[in-house]
Amino acid sequence: MDKAKILIIDDDPDFVDAVTPILKSAMYDVVCASNPAEGKEKALSEKPDLILLDIMMDSLFDGFSLCHDIKTSKEFEGMKDTPVIFVSAVKEMTGSRFQFKGEEQGLRGPDDYIDKPVKPDDLIARIERLLKN
Amino acid sequence: MLDEKPVVLVIDDEEAMRDSCSQILAKDGFQPETAGNGDVGLKKARDVKPDLVLIDLKMPGISGFEVLDKIKEHDPSIISIVITGYATVESAVEAMKKGAYDFLPKPFTPDQLRIIIRRGLERRRLIQETERLRREKMLMEENFITMVSHQLRSPLGTIAQYFEVILAGMVGKVEPRQEEMLAKARDRLESLMELINDWLDMARMNRGQIVDRLKPLSLKEVLKDIVEFMQPSAQKENIQLELVSYSGRDVVQGDDETLKQVFSNLITNAIKYNTPNGKVKVFLEETEDSVAVNVEDTGIGIPEEHLNYIFDQFYRIKKKGEKKSGGTGLGLSIAKKIVEAHAGIIRVVSKTGKGSTFTVVLPKARPESEKE
Repeated sequence: MDKAKILIIDDDPDFVDAVTPILKSAMYDVVCASNPAEGKEKALSEKPDLILLDIMMDSLFDGFSLCHDIKTSKEFEGMKDTPVIFVSAVKEMTGSRFQFKGEEQGLRGPDDYIDKPVKPDDLIARIERLLKN
Repeated sequence: MLDEKPVVLVIDDEEAMRDSCSQILAKDGFQPETAGNGDVGLKKARDVKPDLVLIDLKMPGISGFEVLDKIKEHDPSIISIVITGYATVESAVEAMKKGAYDFLPKPFTPDQLRIIIRRGLERRRLIQETERLRREKMLMEENFITMVSHQLRSPLGTIAQYFEVILAGMVGKVEPRQEEMLAKARDRLESLMELINDWLDMARMNRGQIVDRLKPLSLKEVLKDIVEFMQPSAQKENIQLELVSYSGRDVVQGDDETLKQVFSNLITNAIKYNTPNGKVKVFLEETEDSVAVNVEDTGIGIPEEHLNYIFDQFYRIKKKGEKKSGGTGLGLSIAKKIVEAHAGIIRVVSKTGKGSTFTVVLPKARPESEKE
């Protein structure tokens, strides 16, 4: 199989900087976007195999809505099955990994959650599991 | 609020009364509305959303008392003033009991009407102001905690991320002494993040909020998610984590998020305080009116003298020769707070050297609330 391509959408450049070597070490191609709009654009142009998406960027919940768009909107036709992993530094906020309120409001949730900082092994294991499906 | 005229609704079957009240009200800068009986009055109250309503007690059709009762359903802060020609102490008391703000016996002078209306509106303004402030405060509190959490944790998370990558040797070789120090720095950072989490949790965990969110919930599902989620960290510590299958009833009135927090806390502890190659077994048990979740480990156990205190805030078991601090000392007290908000019990049985079993007992949901 070709190298899988992973898109990181996160507004913290240092986080992207620190996570990229993990993905590269597992032989993934990495593309980055630093805000939801750029994320949308890159998702469409790069057609990644998996997306790591920060939940809180410009606003508290823009990660949620972007994920919902990818999973449901016409614009992203053909990308519905692209796995999305939510990455967040905030475990216990209104949008913790256990409390995806968006689902109650009819928003589609992600395929997995991971907390910042991510453990390299854990991140790779989760990505591999999702890519296998 | 000031540029809008206060709306006053007059519900009275006497036309003369409605007219004279309207005139006085209009002259005084209020917007008068009228209704000739209780039914029309209630309908109008819904449409024009009055700030204050004058209600005649004796009317054909539904009585003033009934109007008093029902009008509160649309707007609990509405000010009702009862006007009546048959003023008796009994009817006044009755009206007050039903939530009337004041009582004005007929006949009354325009001045009496003005005074009582002004007082009533002032009262309404105060109620609304209080409510507005209460809501604003609540919103600020909620967002404050989320923002603080985000702004404190984000930079720490990124710092920790750098440590992780360096320690994993992904950006070059790390000398043993460097690795040791970096690992310590990472561990300290991690406990700091945990502490921030637990403090914020403690601050925001509010019994009422949990109770409001209770709904029928399958414990099996909750545990399946958690066990799956914890599996990688169990494997990393070489701990066998198992969820025993169960076919009994498992539906409780629960709040998904906070219950998951409880079980993830218990399982994390069971992994952390286990012996190498140990086991963690999660299993359900049913009694007549409750379901118990057990988290059993083969770990180091908790000395008996500590058992009574482990659910207390900031209680930590200190052991000689152990440098690593065992968490923030808040995890179990948060768990206890959550379980108690569910009208449940959390308890522990432990034997030093053998292991501990934490049990969360939750009342079963009543069958009728299980139906979707």
